[in-house]
Amino acid sequence: MMAIDRHAWTNRWRDWHPAEKLLPAFGLLWVAVVLPPLTTAPLVLIVAASAVVWGAGVPLRALLAFMAAPAAFLVVGAPFLALSLDLSAGLTPRFSPQGAGVALTSTLRALAALSCLAFVALTTPVVDWAALLRRAGVPSGVVELILLMYRLIFGFVERALAGRRAQAARLGYSRFDRALRSSGLLAGNLFQRGLTRARWLEIGLAARGYRGELRVLREERPLSRARLAVAMLGVGLTGLAGGLLARALS
Amino acid sequence: MHIAEGFLPPLHAALWTALAAPFVAAGVRRANRLAREKPQAKLLLAASGAFAFLLSALKLPSVTGSSSHATGVGLGALLFGPSVMALLGAIVLGFQALLLAHGGLTTLGANVFAMAVVGPWVAFGVARGARWLGAPLAVGAFAAALSGNLATYLTTAGQLALAFPDPASGVAGSWLKFAAVFAPTQLPLAVIEGLLTVTIVNFLREYSGDELRALELWPESPAVEAR
Repeated sequence: MMAIDRHAWTNRWRDWHPAEKLLPAFGLLWVAVVLPPLTTAPLVLIVAASAVVWGAGVPLRALLAFMAAPAAFLVVGAPFLALSLDLSAGLTPRFSPQGAGVALTSTLRALAALSCLAFVALTTPVVDWAALLRRAGVPSGVVELILLMYRLIFGFVERALAGRRAQAARLGYSRFDRALRSSGLLAGNLFQRGLTRARWLEIGLAARGYRGELRVLREERPLSRARLAVAMLGVGLTGLAGGLLARALS
Repeated sequence: MHIAEGFLPPLHAALWTALAAPFVAAGVRRANRLAREKPQAKLLLAASGAFAFLLSALKLPSVTGSSSHATGVGLGALLFGPSVMALLGAIVLGFQALLLAHGGLTTLGANVFAMAVVGPWVAFGVARGARWLGAPLAVGAFAAALSGNLATYLTTAGQLALAFPDPASGVAGSWLKFAAVFAPTQLPLAVIEGLLTVTIVNFLREYSGDELRALELWPESPAVEAR
């Protein structure tokens, strides 16, 4: 988790206007989900992965680590799409070619979509979403809630890891029942601390005239229309190539 | 149990998003009202959301040796009530997609519906029922977390079944298939989450009286009322 966030803050495209990254990524995601996966998905996967690795300069290892866990979910889930259960003749699983086709296409589609998600997550910190969410009509109160939550999460994680280390050093996880109890104590403790922390924040902010709206100075990042146009052209070409290939093959 | 990015066909993804949206909108209205009445409510909500995220990222001891994650669905519903939970859950699921690669953006609607709508409402209903029956708080918390977790898992299995009906036995057969595949990890996990929720609720009742009273914002919260 820390690694994903770190790359989002330190990649080569960090200082670009968020729309230059998010709009193409959503475009690519749209292409991956809507067009026939058999031909489009590999193209999307290649385009998104090369944008992350060569464009934004995120190490390939980070990209693979991002995709590993969801890919495992896909690998576990997909074979069961290829098995067919016949309920009339008792519970007999049998291989179904139709199901195998569905399994292949949905796994491909998911992998391609996952690479788009990786593109978004590894190049754009969550904070940069704020302007886009506001533009999309999300109420400003909710956007602020998102930003506050993001700010609090990392402090929480740090304290959780420290707490867990301390518990483990005292044999808190040496047996199943102890592990359960330790987890409960840790979670309860963190919640209590979180509420205390929220109250401190509130007192500190109230002393500075907080009325339910946080005003912060933001870096100006001009939108480069040229870069956005090139990126969208790339997305369009990927979609076109995928669609044409699919038509040629069918 | 999250549905991975892009796994659902586009139509299903859109449909689940449309189904989840009104619940999230209701949560937004509720949260806005709370924030207008008390400015500190926003900070409290943010802290609770960050906690929910952490809880879902916390690895639980698991019987089979593999580590698993809690959903936090039951605890959230107990503490904050199901309507606010829809909003918090939606934000947390968004964070999980972007920071942990769990779930995704196209499947966000489906995941919100299972984890932030169905789960919390079932947990809340069970907690209410348990209190009505006069069960002790620990029993109610256990039952609520257990059933919230199970309801979430069965809903997710249903969503997958609707998207991928079995060629021979249709949606029902497919649902059975998906439920069976995930049962070995999900059933013990639900029990563990129930036990964990009891430990947390007990801890909070013992040590966090002041903080829980601050949560009077959510007057229907059984954890508060049971004090």
